[in-house]
Parts: sequence; C-alpha cells; structure tokens
Amino acid sequence: MQVNLNNINRDEAFRYMGHKGGEIPQSIISIADECEQKLLENISPKYIYKIFDITPSQEGIIVENTPLVFKGRDIAEHLQGCEKCVLMCATLSSGADRVIRQYEASGMEKAVVADCLASSAIEQVCNIAEAEIQKAIGDYNYTWRFSAGYGDFPLEIQKDFLTVLDAQRRIGLNITDSLILIPRKSVTAVMGVSKNEIAKGKRGCGCCNMREICNFRKRGTHCGF
Amino acid sequence: MDFKAKFEKLMQKEFVSLDGAMGTMLQARGLKMGETPEVLNIENPEMLVQIHKEYIEAGADIIYANTFGANRYKLEHCDYTVNQLIKAGIENAKKACEGTDTLVALDIGPIGQLLEPTGTLTFEQAYDIYKEQIIAGSEADVIVFETMTDLYELKSAVLAAKENSNKPIICTMTFEENMRTFTGCGVDSMALTLEGLGVDAIGLNCSLGPAELYPIVEKLSKWTNLPIVLKPNAGLPDPVTNEYNVTPKEFAKLMQKTIPLGVKIFGGCCGTTPEFIKETNAMLKGEKYQPLNNIIPSACCSASKTVVINRPRIIGERINPTGKKRFKEALLANDIDYILNQAIEQIHGGADILDVNVGLPGIDEGDMMCRAVKALQGVVDVPLQLDSTIPAVLEQALRVYNGKPIVNSVNGEEKSLQAVLPLVKKYGAAVVGLCLDENGIPKTAEGRFEIAKKILDRATSIGIKKENIFIDCLCLTVSAEQDAAIETLKAIHKVKTELGLKTVLGVSNISFGLPERVIVTHNFLTMALANGLDLPIINPNVADMTGSVRAYNVLVGHDKNSIEYVNAYGNKKSENPAEKSENIDLAYALENGLKAEGAKLTEQLLETTEPMNIINNILIPALDKCGAEFESGKIFLPQLILTAGVAQGCFEVIKNHFAKTGEKSVSKGKIIVATVKGDIHDIGKNIVKVLLENYGYDVIDLGKDVDYQSVVDCAIENNVHLVGLSALMTTTLVSMEKTIQLLHKNNVDCKIMVGGAVLTPEYAEQIGADYYAKDAKESCDIAKEVFEKFYPAN
Repeated sequence: MQVNLNNINRDEAFRYMGHKGGEIPQSIISIADECEQKLLENISPKYIYKIFDITPSQEGIIVENTPLVFKGRDIAEHLQGCEKCVLMCATLSSGADRVIRQYEASGMEKAVVADCLASSAIEQVCNIAEAEIQKAIGDYNYTWRFSAGYGDFPLEIQKDFLTVLDAQRRIGLNITDSLILIPRKSVTAVMGVSKNEIAKGKRGCGCCNMREICNFRKRGTHCGF
Repeated sequence: MDFKAKFEKLMQKEFVSLDGAMGTMLQARGLKMGETPEVLNIENPEMLVQIHKEYIEAGADIIYANTFGANRYKLEHCDYTVNQLIKAGIENAKKACEGTDTLVALDIGPIGQLLEPTGTLTFEQAYDIYKEQIIAGSEADVIVFETMTDLYELKSAVLAAKENSNKPIICTMTFEENMRTFTGCGVDSMALTLEGLGVDAIGLNCSLGPAELYPIVEKLSKWTNLPIVLKPNAGLPDPVTNEYNVTPKEFAKLMQKTIPLGVKIFGGCCGTTPEFIKETNAMLKGEKYQPLNNIIPSACCSASKTVVINRPRIIGERINPTGKKRFKEALLANDIDYILNQAIEQIHGGADILDVNVGLPGIDEGDMMCRAVKALQGVVDVPLQLDSTIPAVLEQALRVYNGKPIVNSVNGEEKSLQAVLPLVKKYGAAVVGLCLDENGIPKTAEGRFEIAKKILDRATSIGIKKENIFIDCLCLTVSAEQDAAIETLKAIHKVKTELGLKTVLGVSNISFGLPERVIVTHNFLTMALANGLDLPIINPNVADMTGSVRAYNVLVGHDKNSIEYVNAYGNKKSENPAEKSENIDLAYALENGLKAEGAKLTEQLLETTEPMNIINNILIPALDKCGAEFESGKIFLPQLILTAGVAQGCFEVIKNHFAKTGEKSVSKGKIIVATVKGDIHDIGKNIVKVLLENYGYDVIDLGKDVDYQSVVDCAIENNVHLVGLSALMTTTLVSMEKTIQLLHKNNVDCKIMVGGAVLTPEYAEQIGADYYAKDAKESCDIAKEVFEKFYPAN
C-alpha cells in the first residue's frame, strides 16, 4: 500500500533533535523547510500487513501458519486476550536514505535535521497504516503497535517476520545480519486483534526494558511510547 | 554445447513462452511461509517435476528451475549447499523437459542483502555469490536474473554470468508504478546499462499486473532494441485474503495489448498458474511479433539518472588533482569527503556529468578510483566520466560503476585503441576519442578529422555503437599557437557534420598565459558550441562558463520558454545575502550559521591576520561558546552543528591558504573515528568528526561497518593515540567490545572513547573503553584531555 504524505510533523522531529522548548531560530526553520521538501520529493512510503491467528503456548505466542513464535513476557502481555494479530511493516523507501546520505556529504546540520524529520515521517506513515488496516479488517478491537526491541521482545524475530510478509519483494524492505532494517527509516510492528474488548495495556517508561539506556530519558524527554 | 545457438533457434519462433509462478504452485501444495522452497528440489523432486510438466504442457518454451533463492547468503542455515540445491533443481527441470524442445533456465533472484552504500554487501562479494550459483548451474541452457530492484546488484550478476559461462542471459527487473525500482533505478538506466553489458533479452517481472506494467513496458520499448520480456503478476493481491484479482483470460487479454510494444517473451509471476500460460499462448496464436526499431540516443547514466546528449551538457572538470595542491593533499590523506564536496559543488554549479580523475604519483590510482567512484555514486546521481591514462585503472572503475559511464579516453595510437576499446565494449560504456596519435596532435582540422575517423572505424569494428563515441578535437593554448583555435573549431564542425558523432572538448586550456582568462575561455566556449560542441568540459563553478552554456541553450531553442534559464537566474537576489557581509564579523557568521559569509570573511581576514590567530582568537572561542550553550540547553543539536559547519568552511579556507603558501598547518593530534562492524548508523559518528576537526584534530574517518582489524591496522600505521568508536544497536555493541579487545591485544598505544544511543557509562567501562562520550561536544572535551594529559608531545 502506498501512503501519501503532504507534510512531516516537525514538532516531533524537533523533539528528536533534542529541542526542549523555546523559539527555534530562523536558520534552523529554513533548513527544516528545505529538508522536508527534499524528503517529500524523494520518499515513496509504503506498508504491507497480514493477519494471523495466534495461540499462546509454553514456548511463546505461536503465529499460526508461519514459523514465528513470539517470545518474551512483554509481547505476551501485549497480546493477552487477542485471538489474532496483525503483522505490519512500513518503510519510507531508500529515497530517504539517499537524501540523508547526500546531506551527510554536503552539510551535517542538514543531515541531522533530515534524519529526524524522516524518523517523524515514518511514525506518521505507521499511524496512517494502522488506521487503514483497522478500517480494512473491520469491527474488531486492537492493541497499539508493538515492535521488536520493545521491552523483552527480541529483535531477532524481525528476520522471519519480514520473510513471512515477503517484505523484500513487496516493499523493498531488507534486514542486515546485525538486524538493522534497510531502508533505514522502516518499522515492523505487531497489533493484537480481538472480538472482545482489550484491557488498555500500560504504556510508558515503567514497562519499557530500554528505560535504563534510553536516550530520551537521558535527556529528560520521552519517546511517546 | 552451444547455448547461444540453441537460444537463437528458439528466438526464431514468433513468440517465446516462459512459465508461470513457482512459489504460488508450491504454496498451493503446502509450502509454508518462511520455508526454503529450494529444499524441495532434493526432498520432493517428484512434486517439482510435476509442476514443471504442467507448465510445459501449457506451452512454456523455457521453464525456470526452482533455484531463485539458492544463494550462499539465504542458505546459510540450510542443511544443503548451493551446489546441491541448484544441481538438483536443474535436474528436476531437465527431467520434466525430456522429449520436448523446452529449455531450462537457471533462475536467480536477488541475494537478499542490499549492496553498499544502502546496505553492507560489497559489489565484489555480490559477484562471488552469483559466481557460485552460475557455476553450480552449468547444466542449464539459459541464465535468468529476475525480480531485481538494484541495478548495481544486477550488474555484478551479469558480469559473473558473462565471465563464468557462455550462456544467454535474460534480465528482468521489478518496477513500481512510479516507473522506478525500490532502489530508484529508472527504466532508461536499466535499458542503457544492460544492453551495454550485452545481455540477450530484458524486461519486467513481478510487483504488478499486466495492466499496471503497461506504461512501464511502453517506456522500456523506447529505450531498447532487444526482445522484451514480460512476466507480470496475476494482477494485484488483496491485502486481507492475499488473492490476486486477474483471471487467466483477462491476463491473456491484457498481455495481448503489449504486443505492439515489442514484447516477444511472455510469462507469468506471482499468482499465475499453468492456466494463465495456456491462455496467453492461445492468445499469441495468430499474432505477429513486432520487433523494435529504435534509434537509441547518445546517452550516459547512473542508476537513477539518464543524461541524453541531445543538446550541450556540461561535464564538470574539478575532480582532478592536476595543478591543485589542496586536492593532492586530500588524495594523499585518503580524504574522500573532499572529493564528494567537489562533486556536490559542481552539481550546484550546473554540471550534468562529472569527470573523475584521481591520478597522482605515490597513490594506488586503481584503488583510489574505485573508492571515489563508489563514494560518488552513493551520494550524487549525475553520471560519471571515468578519466585515467591507465587502462587497468579504467577497467577497475568500469567494473564498479553503477550505470553507463563515459570513458576518458582513447586516442588514435595503436596501443591505446587496442587497450581501451575492448574495455568500452565489454562494459557497455561511451568513450571519448582524442584526436591525437603516435605523431602527436595534428596541426590541421583535416588531420584531426582523420584520427577521429580512424577511432570511429576501429570502435565500430568491435561492435561499439556510433552513438557511444564522442570525439575530442583538442584545444591548444591560443597565446602559444594562435591559429590552433580556429583549427579546433573547424575540426569540431567537420566531425559533427561529416561523421555524425557527438563532440567533447576541455576548453579551459585555451586561455592559459593570458590575463582575465575567463573572458577568452567563455568566448571560445560559445564559439565551440556554435560549431557543434555537445559536451564542454569546464569548471561549472565559474558562473560565466555555465552561463554561456545556459544562454546558448536559450538562443538555439533547446531551453523551451527559457524555463531552465529563469530557474537558474530568476531568483538570484534573494539567494545570496552575502552583500550584507560588510556589516557582520566572523563571530556573527559563526553564531548565525552563515556558511558562505564565514568563508568569505575568513578569506578577508587572512589578508591581515595570521591564520593561527584566526583559529585561536575567533574560531575556537566561538565554538567553545556554542558548545557551552549546547550543554546548558540554550541551543539544541542542529544549531551546534550549523555553527560547526560554518567553522568547517572557515578551516577549509585556511587549509587552502596553507596549501598555497606551503606553510604547515598545526595538528593537535590524530584521532580515528569508526562505526563498528555490522553497524551502519554513522550520523552520530559524522557529527563527532565535524566537531573534532573544528578543534584542530586530524580525523581519520574509517566509515561504517568497519572491521576490527582495520581499526587496529590504521591506529598502528598512523600512530594514532585516540580511537573513537560508535555503535547504535544492542546487536552491534559486541563488535565494539571485540574491536576494543583487539586493540588491547595488539598493545596499541591509544585511548578509546565510545558513544552511541544504546551505550551507558557503565557498559563502556565494562567493555574496556577508557571514555564514554554522551554526545559530540563531550568527545571534544575527551580529546582535549587525552592529548593534554597522556600525549602532550602531539
């Protein structure tokens, strides 16, 4: 599925850049204008998803008809009470990587701004994707998006995750041996689906296993999780 | 066996039929998502023979063996080897073909790892992976590369096939509706590059249905004369049910529409079954193949940009160390960033193509050329002109170039013709032919014309197409030989009109030795353009030169409605506030992120002030102030880097000054920075680098995904006492630890600082780092401490 972005959420991007309030100088606004424009011209945001039945087991949550078993306490908690789950992945496409790479060669300040704008953009794409997916699947209850690397949900799952979605062929999304998604501005996520109402899982730093090493926390901010 | 003859015989048929999907058939027979389909070649051969037979019965002339993903990388955790699975796959297909004329294709898909610069796989590694598959598939009749999205990866595959077999090659790439592949490759670039490499058929497969692929086939049909292959999906999949939406009959009908576009080879991809192939073959009965008869224009390309030489195009000449001290220094210091900056500056100036020459005594030119080409094509999208006097260097560059380049150059000397032309042919490039030979440069236009003709004849005799030969009639210095200028112009005119070749000319030499050179040069350029010059090689940063070309394009009607001209000059006023610089000083420029003004003010200051005074009294205090404000939260990251960027521009001016005066710049110490093995997040490392350079350190940037050993070797070789390592992933922290261990094991006399999002001071200590830097600013403080406290001699 193709997603059209007309603008990028700058407040979010500035927050990623470590902005803690106060006026942003015109010099930075102009850079953000240029970078946003360049990104929007060069990205081709896309997402794909599939829906699966899930079964809890000793080993973890079994995703039926796939080799996937979701391990870890946090993903189990996240999917508690769900009969199905949606596996989705989204990418801004390699155009974003190229823009950032070009700026890295010509001026690091633009590279940093473009990088954070792109991070903000992929979140927007995921939000749009989530809404469209829920609309397409219909009248169920959904959990929020849970990604590999959150809590104790292992990053290693992403390889099979992408294979199951055929992500390389369908949206050009790859993963390196070090488990880095390429194109870089990409996301994989799991959403629980249930006929019944889902207890709203607690979100925030308290339930995040990254809390000790989180850069947002180091800066006294928050990732929004 | 003569594979080519067998294939040619098949191509005599009106149309050639391929098979349909393999994956779809296997899934219908119970293959689970995530399982390796090629394993079935050995574990369930009967099933594969059966599927192949169904396609043969449906009329397939070529069937694809079940070998798509059988590469070293994808089979890493598999119980079978590449050789086993490919051999078995081909054997199954051959068995199904018994008693028929059907050919078997070794089917090869993408490796599953992206190549540099987006990914980490090198071009050479990709070549090796493909080579292994090609050799394992020696029993196949044809080699097919399909579902390719990266032209660079495909080029490595085609070279592997050409150099390790004598089989016909079919290439199909996967495009999106925006006419580009996932990696940004365009249809024109695909056609120019692959036809140049000498493949036998090209086309499209997968991603979309035949209706959606129509406009892409249409575009392809204008860029090639090769038979076109079309292997679409059965329409588009439903996102929820995953079912495709086109029936076999509809599929055949949609395929019929592409016959006038020159499609000769038909098949099906995801979602298609023998029924689709049967219907398509039924439709083809009674239809006539319509071969293409395009006049392919003179053009060169990168993977994402094609430059058609149907009007003057500017070749930027600045990536060349000749006569440039600062450039030579950069080459000797392996400073690729300097070259990248030269490239970007020229593109902003108006260059359409960039000449790349890195020849300098004392460096390994081939190695530097490859690194420069790889770095450039990762950042800029304009095509490159590969410039060297050494054929071996040209070949190294031709191999790793992604697209169709120009080779600079061949000349009329026998030695040159024999060494260079075969390379041009093999790698499908265009070539610059210089009008000189064993006897030097002929004085007259006629003499040069004769050499041009000789080059043309020799090139076409080995199959280089006329449109790929660009003649350089050579420009001599008018102050030394006044009559020569007119001879050059006459020669250009004669070559252009009588031989019908494109012409290229480096014009800067014309004015050597005269005052106000640019007046003579740009007037000569205008005269040359009027005489038929297509490719001026100039310094595009000189506004008058680029302006001449732009004006010419307006005056002769190439630039319709003067749109490009107005775009270039219409908004000039608002763009350059530099006029105001009288009222500002360097400190102000630094604080407010005014790059151009900063550089200009530094130049002015150098007339009256010692460079070291500028550094110590203005630049460093401004950076310190900015750093303190960043620490206190008064400014945030982009502002800090913006100021650092201005300072970088100022330092560049000072470095140029040192290069000119021969003074030695003072280094505060050498520092290595690297993003560790397996990690490719290098933005943080690059920020650190800019700041460290600002403070006067010599930074050796080893890049990203850096081997442990390279860090050690570099530290020892360059006697470096501070190493900065960056990692952004929990999965790559282990590489950081290993690099540190190796540094310690080799007793490298250095301190190690580490940084990156997932690091903590405790973890840094645990893995043996000496310092943890929480941000780029802190890495500068650490550097200061290390060099003052531990290595004061530096």
